[in-house]
Parts: sequence; structure tokens; C-alpha cells
Amino acid sequence: MFKDLDPILHSQLRLAVMSLLISVKEAEFTFIREKTNATAGNLSVQIQKLKEAGYIDVTKQFRDNYPLTVCKITKQGIKAFEEYVANLQSYLGKG
Amino acid sequence: MTQTEKQLTEKESLDLIAMMINKAKDTRRDTGIAAIMWGAVIAICSLVRLSEIHFGYKLPFDIYLLTFAAVIPQIYFSVKEKKKRKAKAYGDVFFDNMWMAFGICIFLMIFITGSIYSGLKPMTEEYQKLTGHSAPFHFYEFNSSFFLLLYGLPTFVTGVSMKFKPMLWGGLLCWVCCIVTIYTTVKIDLILTALSSIFAWFIPGLIMEKDYRKAKKGLAAANV
Repeated sequence: MFKDLDPILHSQLRLAVMSLLISVKEAEFTFIREKTNATAGNLSVQIQKLKEAGYIDVTKQFRDNYPLTVCKITKQGIKAFEEYVANLQSYLGKG
Repeated sequence: MTQTEKQLTEKESLDLIAMMINKAKDTRRDTGIAAIMWGAVIAICSLVRLSEIHFGYKLPFDIYLLTFAAVIPQIYFSVKEKKKRKAKAYGDVFFDNMWMAFGICIFLMIFITGSIYSGLKPMTEEYQKLTGHSAPFHFYEFNSSFFLLLYGLPTFVTGVSMKFKPMLWGGLLCWVCCIVTIYTTVKIDLILTALSSIFAWFIPGLIMEKDYRKAKKGLAAANV
């Protein structure tokens, strides 16, 4: 029986962000933007959605008087990501 | 990456995950400056001490004080590199703490060996006075072995963990020299210490620095 894929993760940019964050301890907004080639506006919206879902933590700080946004995957985010990958594999394996 | 909310197929999702994980892997890139500096500092200290012994002169200060002075640029480089780092990989915390612990151990070792040496010195002098012969045991002849033992540890672990062969071999060389220096004279010990620091840190540092500059150039070209 196939499970439905998590709609929060099953979108190109959000999945890219989560894949990056699962690989590092934490990452700055600019790092995520560089790696995903997304616009700042679109990335902000998708990061907000992931934050609202409880998948990532977002902290805003200042460095040398410039705002700095740092993102970190949460335990809930890791669990959701692992489930998503397992579901994908079952789709591909049985499909 | 497209700006629209594109729905992915299962295959595209897995490919995207793999691609982003690979991109994230490139996060940790050491500038190699600290390795170059410490490799050079230890080699200079050892070779200057060797020349003092060989040519029979004495500098007005202890050349090993240079290692204390090198801590200042080390802190500067570390802070600068940390500021530049836009993402913190899981390994970063481990490597940072391991090298910091290594630094603490080195300074503790300086204190311990210094204490043992000053404790033994009156005994060896007494022995010489009583027998007219030089004491059969001089602690300073084993100094290099203790330090080379420590040099090898973080170097080997970094080399193995980062799959960076120059450091792996450098770490092993430190341990080989650690054994050899037990049986050699102080002069040879100093040469082996200088060689170890060059092969364990200076040369790997140069390779890291070259890779870092290459990666930076590649990144700049990709953003054009």
C-alpha cells in the first residue's frame, strides 16, 4: 500500500532546502540561496512554509551590523524527510 | 532552480535529493593557512634549536616562544574562517574541537616535560659531580618523542576522516619519527621533528590552499 507523499516536501525548492539542511548542522540563508539558485523572495516564502510545518528552525541574528538568517533542520524535519525518502523508494521499487 | 511550485516525479525527487546532498558535501573547505603556518613555525623552531646546538651559540630568547606568538594569528585565522563559513557541517564541530584539544595537550605537555626536566636536572648534576661522568639518562633526549606522538594524532585522524592522503601519511610519519627519536641523538630528533612538521602540516597545507583557491575560482566562474 503506497502512502501519500508529504505535500510540504514534495515541491522542488522545499525539497532542495531540506536535502541541503539534512546534510549540514546549520546553514545561512545566503548559502541555501547559492546552492539552490532560487530568488531571495521565493526562498523566504518556502523557508517560512517549512518553518510553519515545524521542519526547520530559523534564527535571525546580526553579524557586523548585517542581518543573518540561519536555518537548521529539526528532529521533526529529519523524521519527515526520512519518511518521504522511504515512501519515494517504495514507489520506485514497486511502481 | 525554477521559481514556480513545480510538482516532481518520484525519480526527479530522488535525483534532486542526491544532487543537493552532493552540493552540501562541498561545504567544508579548509584554506590551509593554519597548517602552513604551524608546519613552518615548528620546522623553524626545530632547525634554529639544532643550529644553536651544532654551532654552539645561544639566542637571547627561547626560539620555542615563537609557538606561543603563533597562537595570536591562529586565533585571527580561526575567527576569520568561521565568519566566512556560510554553513556548518557536522564534521566542522568535531575537527574544530579536536584541534583545539590538541593545542591544549601541547601546552600541557610543554608544562609536564618542563617540570620533569627541572626535577631531574639536580639529580643528573649531582651524578656528574659524584662520578665525574655524564649521567646515563637525559630526559631532554626523549622530548621530541612525546611531541611527535601528539602531532601524529589529530593529523592522522584528519587525514583519515577527510580522506586527505597527504595528512594521513604525515600523521603516520610523525609516529614513525616518534619511535625513531627514542633511539637517536637530540640533533637527529630535531631534524626529524622539522621533517615531520613539514610533511604533516606544511605540505598538506599548501595542497589545501591550492585546492581552496581552485574551488573559489570555480565558484566565481560559475556565478558569472
